[in-house]
Amino acid sequence: MPGVSLLQKPGRRAHLLEAWRFVPSEYPRGVAFDRTGALLALGAADGQLVVLDAATGASRWETRLPDSVSTVAFSPADDRLAVACFDGRTRLYRSDGELLSTLPGAKGGWVEWVAWSKRGQLATAQGRGVRVWTADGQPVLETPPHESTISGVGFSPDGSRLLTSCYGAVRLFPLEAGVEARTLSWKSSLLSLTPSPDGKVIAVATQDNSVHFWRLASGKDSEMSGYPAKPTALAWSPDSKLLCTGGGADICGWRFVGRGPEGSEPLILRGHEQPITRLAYSRQGLLASGALDGDVLTWDPAADATPIGIAPLGDEPAELAFSPDGARLCGASARQVVLWEVTHAQATARALGRQPGGRAGGGASR
Amino acid sequence: MADQSIPVTVLTGFLGSGKTTLLNRILTEQHGKRIAVIENEFGEIGIDQALVINADEEVFEMNNGCICCTVRGDLIRILGNLMKRRDKFDQVLVETTGMADPAPVAQTFFVDEEVQRHFRLDGIVTMVDAKHVALHLDDSDEAQQQVAFGDVLVLNKMDLVSPEEADALERRIRSMNAMAKLVRATNANVPIAEVLDVGGFDLKRAVEKKPTFLEPEYPFEWGAVFELPEGVSTLSLGEGTDETMQVVLVPVEGVAEPLKEGPERGVRLWTKGPSAVKPGGLVEPERSVNLDVSSGKPTTFQVRVPRAGRWMLLTEHGGDEYQVRLGKAATVAEKVYGGHEHDETVTSVGIHLEGEVDGKKLNAWLSKLLQEKGADIFRMKGIVSVKGEDRRFVFQGVHMLFDGRPDRPWGTQPRANDLVFIGRKLDRSALTEGFRRCLA
Repeated sequence: MPGVSLLQKPGRRAHLLEAWRFVPSEYPRGVAFDRTGALLALGAADGQLVVLDAATGASRWETRLPDSVSTVAFSPADDRLAVACFDGRTRLYRSDGELLSTLPGAKGGWVEWVAWSKRGQLATAQGRGVRVWTADGQPVLETPPHESTISGVGFSPDGSRLLTSCYGAVRLFPLEAGVEARTLSWKSSLLSLTPSPDGKVIAVATQDNSVHFWRLASGKDSEMSGYPAKPTALAWSPDSKLLCTGGGADICGWRFVGRGPEGSEPLILRGHEQPITRLAYSRQGLLASGALDGDVLTWDPAADATPIGIAPLGDEPAELAFSPDGARLCGASARQVVLWEVTHAQATARALGRQPGGRAGGGASR
Repeated sequence: MADQSIPVTVLTGFLGSGKTTLLNRILTEQHGKRIAVIENEFGEIGIDQALVINADEEVFEMNNGCICCTVRGDLIRILGNLMKRRDKFDQVLVETTGMADPAPVAQTFFVDEEVQRHFRLDGIVTMVDAKHVALHLDDSDEAQQQVAFGDVLVLNKMDLVSPEEADALERRIRSMNAMAKLVRATNANVPIAEVLDVGGFDLKRAVEKKPTFLEPEYPFEWGAVFELPEGVSTLSLGEGTDETMQVVLVPVEGVAEPLKEGPERGVRLWTKGPSAVKPGGLVEPERSVNLDVSSGKPTTFQVRVPRAGRWMLLTEHGGDEYQVRLGKAATVAEKVYGGHEHDETVTSVGIHLEGEVDGKKLNAWLSKLLQEKGADIFRMKGIVSVKGEDRRFVFQGVHMLFDGRPDRPWGTQPRANDLVFIGRKLDRSALTEGFRRCLA
């Protein structure tokens, strides 16, 4: 682990202190904090669904679905939890465990993605189609079949549009009058869908080892290529000024300032030794990254290109999620789920034993 | 890491060739193994313990500047999903649709890092319907591709064809794909060990198995040794479909292995301007002749030899097909030499060269070759002896995608180079010459 030498610089720290760990009965397929940050939902590959007390890790309630969970998501509007399952259905629970409704799916194939809008509408993606539902599970919209399997689904920040991605295109479907449908084409296998928090840019990762994005106002798009592998992790800073991307051991941050990122050098965050598989941004601007070797690092990209915290997850992170207040970070790997309290600190040169004129302390060498 | 990777076997073949039967057999006999099946045709899989995933084939082009680089998007997604389990599978089987080109499946394992990290393509098993394949091979690119790509070719439904038809089919298939293992079967009753753990894309094992192309390829199909008296004997040919039949007669008296040496002598004479001989005409030994058999009826010719003893007759078309008889006695020995009744557009070219190659020259030649002909080269394998390098260099490719690395040291074994290409419209002499120029 590169930790010791990485944290030899004075400055801000975001230490990760392990609060608890939980061992799900199978591979975790989705973790999500509720809007208060008090609860953490976890779904697993054997159908286990458990809602934990985020502070203590104690189980509040638990159930078992007939097949693997594919993802879980809490509504940002209220206390509803959506759970997508390989049986083709999506279940809506209240955070106390009551099953509110079971949303039917098409025959054959599993529900791969779900997303909530700020208005409390829910989108479910299954195979080539997407359906939108009200918070009570009433159907709102069903898209025509896409030309290939849906690879990402979301909403515009104001909730006026449904966003989908598949091979060759990102599509915007209107959810209210006066909003037009749009198709953003790019001939490539689009792997994910990550709109910026301000809604002005839509970014996707592609199978061609690149990141592609569109600016909605102008319709202009750009291709950022040269990644050593497909960038499986994308995360926007809360101010929408930095798009952080994985794909190699370095995090590559595209700066959406001025005329950038086109024609400008990206911000390179160096610290991992293995390719990055997960990125998460807290609403407060703290970035967390997880790599194949299980190292989890924290960053303050606005201030510093070196990591400011480190913790071991053990093996490849399957999930990484911040609580809404940014005080907790949850990491899930094949074997376990770990919850860290994020502790902010200021590391001075004195504390590091590297004061000017003094001797290097610890294992640091010059 | 590679040891933990999960083997993936691809089952391909035309509709009705017996894919689903073989699949069910594997699932039944591999009892206790955890197997995931990715299916693209709604077959009738009757086994409960296997996870069966139905998926539409989603083939797309990669934007890497290589037009033939297509991959299976659905496979990437499903394999990615299969990884997200603690209870891993021991084996993945991918069944393609009957009309599928196997290239995108194979290429998926070359281009996607995530897939490579967790899975390895073990082999492509092509089911061949022995009764109907000839038809498919004549008019379907897909059927040809499936035969060309196979690591194992299962000639199924052998109960429906005669032994002669079976031999002819095997020769034809072998001429297209010299690398594959051929297995005959009825009702897909193949020993499972023949189709699983094949190591078809394993560079280390590419070295172990020598392709069968090293058997020389002759322009004639059949040869037989006859005991002839001095003077004239009668050569008779039954009904056939061709206008002419080229033959050559060579002496093999006192020769230790006439079936090997006879063709060696015959092949030298073969191309030297065959002269035409009318029905009833005279055939001289050690001269290539074109017999006129255009009447469509049984035809006889005279053969005159200067001395009694053993002579070998080599014929352009199958001797059994034409019921070739020479003189009064039965043949002493006979052999079938490859099938040329079909001018295959898909063929295998094997090159064996002694000596060492110049690494830079080889690299330049291969890059150029793959760039220009990659679309027509389905598969390629090679073991080469690079000058200044103690270890063998092994490589393989699918279309324009290429994977190579140094392998174990040569040690005391003689250093030599072996290359095999399987593809469409391959120019054997150009390939051989191109490779020869890479010699150091």
